[in-house]
Amino acid sequence: MADHTVTVGTQPVQVPTGSLLVEAAHRAGVDIQQPCGGQGRCGRCAVLVTEGTVRRRSTLRLSADDIAAGYALACQSVVEGDVSITVLPQEKIERRLKTDLTAAEVKVPAGYDPQAVQTVRRVALTLAPPNMDDQRDDWSRLLTALRAEGIEAARASLAQLRQLGRTLREGDWQVTAVLDTEAWDCPDCPARLIDLKPDHVAADAPLWGVAVDIGTTTVTLWLVNLLTGEVRAQVAEYNRQIERGEDVISRIIYATKNSRNGDHGQLRDLVLETINGLLETACKRVLAQPTDVMKATISGNSTMMHLLLDIPAESIRLSPFVTAVNDVPTLTGREVGLNIHPDATVDCLPGVASYVGADITAGVLSSGLEDVEAVTLFIDIGTNGETVLGNNEWLITCACSAGPAFEGSGVINGMRATSGAIEEVWINSDTYEPTYRVIFSDKPVGICGSGLIALMAEMLLTGVIDKGGNINLTLPTPRVRTGEHGPEYVVAWGSETAHGRDIAITRVDIDNLIRAKAAIYAGFTVLAERMGIPLETAEQVLVGGSFGKYINVEKAVEIGLLPDMPWEHFHFLGNTSVRGAYLGLLDKQARAQIRAIASRMTYIELSADNTFYEAFTSALFLPHTDLSRFPSVQPAVTT
Amino acid sequence: MALSGIQIYKLLPQTNCKDCGFPTCLAFAMKLAAKQVELSACPHVKDEAKAQLAEASEPPVRLITLTANGHEVKAGNEVVLFRHEKTFYNKPGFFLRVRDDQTADDIKAAVSAADSYMVNYVGRELMIDGFAVEAVKGDPAAFSAAIEAVRQVSHRPLILISRDPNVMAAGLRNVDGEHPLMYGADASNWQAMGDLAKQHGAALTVIAESLDGLADLATKLKEYGVPDLVLDPAARKLGTSLALNTQIRRLALRKNFRPLGYPVIAFPCDAEEAYEESMLAAHAIAKYAGFVVLDRFAPETAYPLLVLRENIYTDPQKPIQVQPGIYEINNPTPDSPVLVTTNFSITYFSVANEVESSGLPAWLLVADAEGMSVLTAWAAGKFDAERIAKSVKAFNVADKVNKKRIVIPGHVAVLSGEMEEELPDWEIRVGPREAVDLPAFMKQSL
Amino acid sequence: MPVEIPKDSWEGTVRTVTLGATSAEGGTRSRTITVGGQKTLPFMNFEQTAPNRPVVAVEIKERRPTDWSPLLLDVWGDAANDPAAWAKQAEAVGADLLVLALTLTDADGAPTTPQAAVAATKAVLGASALPLIVFGPGQAEADNELLLAVAEATKGERLALGICEDKNYRTIVAAALANDHCVTARTPMDVNLAKQLNILIHDMGLPLDRILMDPTTGALGYGIEYGYSVMERLRLAALQGDAMTQLPMLVTPGFEAWKTKESKVGQDVPEAWGDWAERAINWETLTAVALVESGADIVVLRHPESVRRIHKAIDELTISPEMA
Repeated sequence: MADHTVTVGTQPVQVPTGSLLVEAAHRAGVDIQQPCGGQGRCGRCAVLVTEGTVRRRSTLRLSADDIAAGYALACQSVVEGDVSITVLPQEKIERRLKTDLTAAEVKVPAGYDPQAVQTVRRVALTLAPPNMDDQRDDWSRLLTALRAEGIEAARASLAQLRQLGRTLREGDWQVTAVLDTEAWDCPDCPARLIDLKPDHVAADAPLWGVAVDIGTTTVTLWLVNLLTGEVRAQVAEYNRQIERGEDVISRIIYATKNSRNGDHGQLRDLVLETINGLLETACKRVLAQPTDVMKATISGNSTMMHLLLDIPAESIRLSPFVTAVNDVPTLTGREVGLNIHPDATVDCLPGVASYVGADITAGVLSSGLEDVEAVTLFIDIGTNGETVLGNNEWLITCACSAGPAFEGSGVINGMRATSGAIEEVWINSDTYEPTYRVIFSDKPVGICGSGLIALMAEMLLTGVIDKGGNINLTLPTPRVRTGEHGPEYVVAWGSETAHGRDIAITRVDIDNLIRAKAAIYAGFTVLAERMGIPLETAEQVLVGGSFGKYINVEKAVEIGLLPDMPWEHFHFLGNTSVRGAYLGLLDKQARAQIRAIASRMTYIELSADNTFYEAFTSALFLPHTDLSRFPSVQPAVTT
Repeated sequence: MALSGIQIYKLLPQTNCKDCGFPTCLAFAMKLAAKQVELSACPHVKDEAKAQLAEASEPPVRLITLTANGHEVKAGNEVVLFRHEKTFYNKPGFFLRVRDDQTADDIKAAVSAADSYMVNYVGRELMIDGFAVEAVKGDPAAFSAAIEAVRQVSHRPLILISRDPNVMAAGLRNVDGEHPLMYGADASNWQAMGDLAKQHGAALTVIAESLDGLADLATKLKEYGVPDLVLDPAARKLGTSLALNTQIRRLALRKNFRPLGYPVIAFPCDAEEAYEESMLAAHAIAKYAGFVVLDRFAPETAYPLLVLRENIYTDPQKPIQVQPGIYEINNPTPDSPVLVTTNFSITYFSVANEVESSGLPAWLLVADAEGMSVLTAWAAGKFDAERIAKSVKAFNVADKVNKKRIVIPGHVAVLSGEMEEELPDWEIRVGPREAVDLPAFMKQSL
Repeated sequence: MPVEIPKDSWEGTVRTVTLGATSAEGGTRSRTITVGGQKTLPFMNFEQTAPNRPVVAVEIKERRPTDWSPLLLDVWGDAANDPAAWAKQAEAVGADLLVLALTLTDADGAPTTPQAAVAATKAVLGASALPLIVFGPGQAEADNELLLAVAEATKGERLALGICEDKNYRTIVAAALANDHCVTARTPMDVNLAKQLNILIHDMGLPLDRILMDPTTGALGYGIEYGYSVMERLRLAALQGDAMTQLPMLVTPGFEAWKTKESKVGQDVPEAWGDWAERAINWETLTAVALVESGADIVVLRHPESVRRIHKAIDELTISPEMA
């Protein structure tokens, strides 16, 4: 058999025809990492062929551009002539992998003009001091100054009037006023005074607002400078209501029971604690006070909105499933109980129905779904699994209770996508040894949603679990075992973890994840069926959800969470709800658009629909009972 | 052809004006597609669209209604070949056949036994629908007398059987004001029969040995002015009847072939033996008959056939409910455990099957949860402590057992506290979440 | 008016499964039974005649059952005391093949031993030359233990071993694989679950032509409509080309019908129920007829009269088309 010269970096070695590049590299003393066990799945062994050619058995992980540039998977490329290759540093490879869809950075909307679209205005006023010839009252004096700034009329609260005289004099007739100039629910009302402080502040000093998304599982808050539109801090935390139930139904039942026992507002207090805690953290980062925040725009599902406002939510869960209110009027920080400025505007975004709330209307706005002609699928991968299908002509939506598994809750070693979370996993198909990547840390604490998706996919592809999710306990590895919670697979031994305990995924976790992904997949198949169009009609898939920075689309497809479509059809938008709230916070036109979206969305109640049950059971399999829906996964899972 | 929601939506004004009572035009379109609302609810739809929508909603199998003295039997209006695709709508009418060569007393005896027959099945009262009177003597007076005899003991709708227009005319005079089914028109008598049908407003059966013949006659009769037709493809064996009925249904539904867009009548009564008659009738129920004529009336056959008809014509889109109550599994004794679940039939069957196959005796309390599964019912407030307690009391569960202990599904473990309040002298146990784990749980923990 | 007969043409075909092996094939059966192979919906003979007709299996037990209706015990008489005699009798009344359904315990209430199960199976194979299906008692541990022993002791006979369920299939499938048997895969009246179990079993390496699926049915009045529609849907899916549903279907209307009150009980029932014996046979027969029309390839029955009637029904349904 002929030998060929493979030059690895600068080191030439002789290998027989038919050798793999990894073998050649090994001979040259370079061991290329193969987390997936040389299956061509992970793409981490990509090398650059600088001279000569190799036969690429699989290019699954490589784009046409990659191949043109000379990339080859070392585990899948056969030496049939003399070649030179360059082994790239690992980080460089990781950055190259294309299927990890990363959430777009937050960009300030182009041409953001606070004068034109921001309702909150801060004005530095210099009032003419009173004298014996000019005995006008303080308030009129202030109004005059405001008129000079283009604010024709204003109103103040009694508390503000009590403070008025002192503030004007303390600032020696120089004051800074913050007003909300236009409420969506009363466009012709006079501007409402929020804050009046002595002295002038620098014109470019930030004017703070917050966009808040109250998720059933995760609460997210963005601190925004309303003058520039910049997001200056992004913080998130589990919703403290979780301790009173993981899903909206449990929360509603809990709240109802509590108020029957005369103990109102416990859930309201919990979510307020969560938001106020986040507010504090975010403000500290920019050296501001929570009371400096002049406006809060709040998004969240209908139940969360009701609980925040302590409006009885019982009717949401009982047939015929109606909310108390979808369009909440403009409120103040004091009324809601937020630790922002007591007179700050609190704007709760409108929802559509009991199970499709402001988080989705805001999400649709931020996804741009309602502007496009192409039929588009928008999925919010969260506890309530809301899905929207449509375009600029029609919008149809449903919600399916997916549970909190993909937010890392309800899974024994699950966690949010924060420091210490395993966010990506590969399993070697020969040894069943995993390799993982941890967010901002060497030592893992738990597994976040994207890590769970990757883990499930890898377990499936390597046979650690079968298509029904059963762990194969007969595999020759100590990583599969029967633990306290039944069969499990150990991802990280205690010696590797931050807390010294093993991190494992159990059969029960797997069942939860399968149920969650099945609910979400079933949701959009039902929408497509209802519209009488094949799911493939959707030309793009917009994915929202609290996945931290990314979701691995390929693996999400492999487990049947997302439909099998070309990767370029997917766009990961991150938390679309908070993004929508952010847009609504900045721009009154965006706020009006959210309302328009809410009024034209058609809501499908799945509980009245047994096609959902059918779609759900067929999705309770990996990737799906109907494998033909997943042609790209088929080869990998066919034995 | 039925239009999909999106096709209908395109014909609507798309203004989301809400005047129809639905939040959006699309929501209204989907209700229209599901035939749950009338187009007239939209005041703004254009005439052109109206015409298109009306055409699309014309039923591919014509609805035929037989009436007599306030009784009604409907056939037709079917839209699918397989019940799972939507549902079968109009249960085939069961008709008992008598002949005019029987004595009036014999006729009356047979008819009144069948007429008064009623059997209870899951709370429904099942009975047969009418009678077929056959003229075998060829004598108008005899036919008329036989019908007279039937009418003395039954008010239900009739099928009149004679190919002789004179005989038929005599029979029809007995049932003035009713809407009976005439049997029937063939190639030789169709015009005379057509005249009679028009005159009496009766439905008319078209008889031919082939689909060509049926289509031919049906077309002629329709043009002649007889709109209400029923088809007899003249097959009397399982295999041929299955083939022909399937072909007729396919042509009507898939090709929108109007000449065969009518209900079919089946004659299991022509079987040589009783057991063949019952099998043919069972087949006719499942495979597309609109009217079924029987000869031998016996409760032990009528009961299973009526039940089969209920089952096949159950709407598969609607979750079927089982009767709330206390069910005995594996001959329970007062020492056997009490398990509770909901009356969603899939839930009930999966629980009952697991317990049954375990061989362990148990009392299964089925609470009225409006036909929802455990989790759905719980979420919707239809399966809470109050409702379960009500069932325990309503079905006197306490009287059946020595030990007051009840096992609730693991999915509603959260109810145990309230259950204790509602049923203070009962021990509340939380069972497994899935039915499949019940046997192990019962063995280990009860 | 010439009417064009609407004929379906499907891309899929139901697989054939052959049960039993003759001496030439390494077994001891006088003949084998092959089911499946349809290219049309059930009995659409005007499109194409099916290569194999549905068959009737008769269920017997290794000892006299204590929970069967007296109507059944009377009709089988003393034969029910002995599996070999019962097998012979079943063959005599027209069984195409036999189902030996093992009992959980012996007559004294002790767990049935693998030795006893093997002995009963061998007795049946010795007494009748028909192909045989063996069902475990329906509890995971007992099924695995007994069927493994039976599978090994009858290597080469090409039995069908049941019941594989989603929570318990590995051992039985492995036993079938190692000893050249087939399996039956039972799922609770759901198209998706049926398909999923087929996939899982096939993923273990058992060829699809050695799997029968039992989608489960309810009896008349007790959920037959679910079984009926699930079978119609499975067969439609098979013909549409879905490989994992292209398996012949076995159902047990005998078991289902004879556990209903209508069949079991003769006294203190409503008068409108009519004659007990005929009602019970009707219950079994009408359940079976409906299921045969919805696509069953093997119906497992219990009463000899039902066997006779269903044979007659199958005869009528399979006659070659008068109107091709």
